[in-house]
Amino acid sequence: MLDRPLAPPPVEVIVAVTQALHREARLLDNEDLDGWLAMLGKDVSYRLELKSRRFRADRSPPLPLGPGVIFNEDLGRLKMRVDRLKSGFVWAEDPPNYIRRAVSNVEVLANQADNEVRVHSVLVMHRNRIDGTTRLLTAGRTDRWRSEGSCWLLASRDIVLDHSVMPDSNLNAFF
Amino acid sequence: MRIERIGREPDYSRYMDLKEGWLDRRIFSDADIYEEELYRIFARSWLFVAHESQIPSSGDFLTTHMGEDAVIVARQPDGSIRVMLNSCPHRGNKVCFADAGNTRRFVCNYHGWAFDTAGDLKGMHEEYCYDAGDIDFKNHGLKNVAKVGNYKGLVFATFNSDAPSLEAWLGDFRWYLDMILDNEEGGTEFIGGCIKSVISANWKFGVENFIGDAYHAGWTHDSGARSMNNGQPFPPIDMQNSYHASMNGHGWEFGTEGVGDLVLLGRPKVMDYYNKIRPKMAERLGEMRSKIFGSVASASIFPNVSFLPGISTFRQWQPKGPMQFELKTWVIVNKAMPDDIKEEVTKGVMQTFGPGGTFEMDDGENWENCTTVNRGVVTRHERLHYRCGIGREIEHDTLPGIVYRGQYNDANQRGFYQRWLDMMTHDEFGKMPARPEPRLGNVAETRDLPGLFAL
Repeated sequence: MLDRPLAPPPVEVIVAVTQALHREARLLDNEDLDGWLAMLGKDVSYRLELKSRRFRADRSPPLPLGPGVIFNEDLGRLKMRVDRLKSGFVWAEDPPNYIRRAVSNVEVLANQADNEVRVHSVLVMHRNRIDGTTRLLTAGRTDRWRSEGSCWLLASRDIVLDHSVMPDSNLNAFF
Repeated sequence: MRIERIGREPDYSRYMDLKEGWLDRRIFSDADIYEEELYRIFARSWLFVAHESQIPSSGDFLTTHMGEDAVIVARQPDGSIRVMLNSCPHRGNKVCFADAGNTRRFVCNYHGWAFDTAGDLKGMHEEYCYDAGDIDFKNHGLKNVAKVGNYKGLVFATFNSDAPSLEAWLGDFRWYLDMILDNEEGGTEFIGGCIKSVISANWKFGVENFIGDAYHAGWTHDSGARSMNNGQPFPPIDMQNSYHASMNGHGWEFGTEGVGDLVLLGRPKVMDYYNKIRPKMAERLGEMRSKIFGSVASASIFPNVSFLPGISTFRQWQPKGPMQFELKTWVIVNKAMPDDIKEEVTKGVMQTFGPGGTFEMDDGENWENCTTVNRGVVTRHERLHYRCGIGREIEHDTLPGIVYRGQYNDANQRGFYQRWLDMMTHDEFGKMPARPEPRLGNVAETRDLPGLFAL
């Protein structure tokens, strides 16, 4: 099981991965989307599963085909999203929105694969839209990061959005 | 049940002239008009509350809203479905805070009043505090709605005991609805959960966008179309062989080329699936409807449900004040589809019309700003233009409804606002004009009509 105790990763690894999370947030905030894509592994999986608010003692069985996923993306799909944003035809992003991501509660854990770590983090995303409205989204993230050569690449990301009703008209931003 | 508002404005006709083709913007922003909509439209219409597949077993329930009234929709031990106010008759607190689930009882958090899934009061905390004669259990259950109806899996409810039957309410629109609800043996189901998002816009902008606004797609969604189609924009619309059809405020705009929306969904396996069943669909629904299904199309059921047949997103625009709605979206599929096709449909819906979808992401901001600009007192008194295609009405042998030629048109939008005006104006359903006179009558089945609509 993933949660069996493993020796913590070396401090250098913790620093490098934490810095990668911060760099990722800065690249996205600055709309350096190609720079961000370069931080993703070729087999990256990027997922946001749907939640529903249930009683703790709910007796119903899980849905036969699962709860549904809002994002279930691979590298090709993420590239397509980036192409769309770069197309010059996304009217809702012109003039640009102000987006700032704060990454916090970073926990870097050893994974069974030597060249991988599991990373928990919290993302707070501030979006100030073209019409001046501001929306604040928070999410928990569980990632796998993989060391390839001299850099760490994002191998998978599971996003949990902390809103049962999304307080925004779209999720036109990467978490 | 009739719930009337004191001192309502008598004449809403001054807010629009649909023969000329304009609307007054105050219907999208004025708080008094919004209040009146809750009374006249939401408390009197048949409203969508669930797909029966969401609550298959006894004790299954979900919570939703009818207008701004919170309700619980629950499956009963005898298989029937009840819809009741989600509010305790004691002090009014909400009795159920879950989105959905399975339960035997709804218990109020305040004093522990407990109700069964039919809404009957069964007991409460420290029951001995009530003396004989203090409380009549029979009359203190959760208030049930006046009527519940089911059209091919879609469950509707109304607070209005004078409402016509659900079949009459949907009228000839059933001929169109069957294209999404009955295009294959076994009917439909919702899969996955419900996505909810809040949008600072008037609810009618969502409805009118889906009821007829094919026109926005090529411009608003240009980036999405190009990113999914190798940099190519949407192809031009065939204005000769595409239509608007409006019936008592319900509306469907569509092409007849059979593939446009399936292409947009972007999942080739789903396209293959429909191509495979299309000959059967033609036997089932006739040639015309088998060519309409899958085309570039969108539709709304009056007052606040919309969907994209072919793309399979199904949604409801829940009013939350004049300048806000909650959008609820689901994925609808044919039950008979194999699981891998259902999963492909879900993927496609999320990638296009989910909240992170390549098309959905462009819409919200438009509706929000169409609404919030009306905070300006001068702005809100300006008229909006709804005249597109106003001279293109046609008689069509096959297509029921008020039919206009050319998918780029404001005809269905005008039909929707006409029905809105009818409901805001008339006290009696019987006095509301039929728009148009129905062809189908009250027949239960629209699928097997004897040759009436064969091409």
